[in-house]
Amino acid sequence: MNPPPPFLRCRGLTKTYQKGPNRVTPLQSLDLEVAPGEFLALMGPSGSGKTTLLHCIAGIDHPSSGELWVGDSNLAALDRAQLTRWRARYCGYVFQLYHLVPILSAFENVELPLLLTKGLRRTERRERVRAALARVGLADRAHHRPAELSGGQEQRVALARAIVTDPELLVADEPTGDLDREAARQVLDLLHELARDNGKTVIMVTHDPRAAAEADRCLHLEKGRLLEANIPAEVAR
Amino acid sequence: MLPLSYAFRNLLRDPVGLLQKVLGSALVVLLVLAAASFNGGMNELLRSSGSPGNLIFLGAGSEESLERSEVPAEAEELIAAGVPGIAAGEGGPAVSGEIHYNGLLALPDGTAAQGLTRGVTPAALRVHRQVRLVEGEWPAGGEVLVGRLAHHVLGVPAEELAVGRTVLLEDEPFRVAGRLAGEGTVVESELWFPRDDLARLLQRDTLSGVVARLEDPSAMNRARADLFTKQRLDLALAVLSEADYYAELARFYGPIRGMTWLTAVLVGLGAVFGGLNLLYASIASRMQELATLQTLGFRRGVLLFSLLQESVLTQAIGLLLALGAAALLFHGLWIEFSTGTFRMALSPGAVGLGVATALLLGTVGTLPPALRCLRLPLPVALRSG
Ligand SMILES: Nc1ncnc2c1ncn2[C@@H]1O[C@H](COP(=O)(O)OP(=O)(O)OP(=O)(O)O)[C@@H](O)[C@H]1O
Ligand SMILES: [Mg+2]
Repeated sequence: MNPPPPFLRCRGLTKTYQKGPNRVTPLQSLDLEVAPGEFLALMGPSGSGKTTLLHCIAGIDHPSSGELWVGDSNLAALDRAQLTRWRARYCGYVFQLYHLVPILSAFENVELPLLLTKGLRRTERRERVRAALARVGLADRAHHRPAELSGGQEQRVALARAIVTDPELLVADEPTGDLDREAARQVLDLLHELARDNGKTVIMVTHDPRAAAEADRCLHLEKGRLLEANIPAEVAR
Repeated sequence: MLPLSYAFRNLLRDPVGLLQKVLGSALVVLLVLAAASFNGGMNELLRSSGSPGNLIFLGAGSEESLERSEVPAEAEELIAAGVPGIAAGEGGPAVSGEIHYNGLLALPDGTAAQGLTRGVTPAALRVHRQVRLVEGEWPAGGEVLVGRLAHHVLGVPAEELAVGRTVLLEDEPFRVAGRLAGEGTVVESELWFPRDDLARLLQRDTLSGVVARLEDPSAMNRARADLFTKQRLDLALAVLSEADYYAELARFYGPIRGMTWLTAVLVGLGAVFGGLNLLYASIASRMQELATLQTLGFRRGVLLFSLLQESVLTQAIGLLLALGAAALLFHGLWIEFSTGTFRMALSPGAVGLGVATALLLGTVGTLPPALRCLRLPLPVALRSG
């Protein structure tokens, strides 16, 4: 049986930053394939380029060179405006630092991406926001502002905002970093569910080996390259 | 599209900053409104004072000022007889030999001020068609007509110059015989004396100038008047249209108007440059948020539009504040200067200029910081916490 064509494919993906006389190359000719509906965990030391890789995959940053295909889109070839449209349609992103809009309530934060969906009725929009908040277990916090939420709650609002448009690709930068065991468990279950039951492709960065163990596959980013890691087995021990 | 409420709520995010922006723009707009109402009033006065159908004959070489000009007394009759195309009025040709004099006016109680006076004969009403006697009658010897705004010159209420009251010119008392209206011309702040009285008082036997109304203000008729002055070189006359005379006066006051604009512009520039740091800071503090909205799929144009909405709202508050202050401080204020009296008014033109200024301030204050912020690559902006 042939494996399905990958949903995401990087070939020789390189990202360099020129900082004064110094050149930083967080991603060095990196190859990666992710199947549709796969839940992938990425690990690696701080500063190894995990966020940089997620930014590229999510169409937030441009690779310096190499190929980057997501679905039918050649992200390396899209310009800024095209990437913006692409993100709105295909990609949900959970930021490492949540990046919620402070003057908006949890509900309104989650509603934001839906404002871009043309022809969506108000009632339906509100229904979808409520459903997304319920999915992350925050139905009762809808009208709180970010400042009135705990870090973990903010993180879950950010997750709700990323999934509310039902994107094909979900990219999450340490989505369980600020959560206790129980809340982390819920979030990981949700990510799992999205991949397994809804066929979404989920890419998650984590520092927590237990969280990584939940994923279908775990890769290690080190010195700009990806290595297969078999953490789950180690953790199991 | 981001809802307007987002812009509203962003305004309230930093009330102190909002207050600074509002006050800054209100100050600049207020100055622009002041300059526009001042200059608009002065221009309107000078423009309406000059009728294109009237010719002024003055002494050659003193075209810029009737008060400094001298022409022989016989010029009045010679012009009436020799210049073709002069209108005929009731009781004679529309030719008025006049003495214009800037003299010391006073009230019996000692209030005194410099003011414009004219020595005229009844022919003046045949020439100056905007001028009407609205009260009282033509002055006999020892009497005077006062323009309906002349009390502003002395800085007293209108009653002080009511018919029957006394006003002194160079210490000689005159009884007010009537009041003049002049459709917004300089005449409204003048005092008109019988010409013989003024001549006697000033001990002069010359006129300041002769004003004649043409039947038809054609170039041909003006050329004929010009020809007349060249034929009668002995009279040493120069001729120009009344409209040109006041246009020249308006040019003379140009530097004053320029100063008012310059003040408004300098304060405006000061406010913009002084406030630019504040404006940059207020947008830069939201750099991350603007980047986040972009990652969610909001186009930069949409975000810029939302930022402009915020600035328009801010400017609208500043504009209302400025209009309110202008209405309290100077709307309807009478300004009296050496040529006449006008009223500062928030004319549609002045208000329009105020609105344009507010919009300009909003744009200049928002576009550069917003564009700088929106131009950054997303990863850089996202890391800018
Ligand atoms: N805009 C930039 N300009 C220059 N260098 C950058 C820029 N962005 C990232 N880097 C560098 O790239 C490297 C990778 O950064 P990245 O944020 O991807 O690391 P990370 O793996 O996500 O780290 P952490 O686990 O701490 O979040 C770092 O050395 C960082 O300093
Ligand atoms: Mg990171």
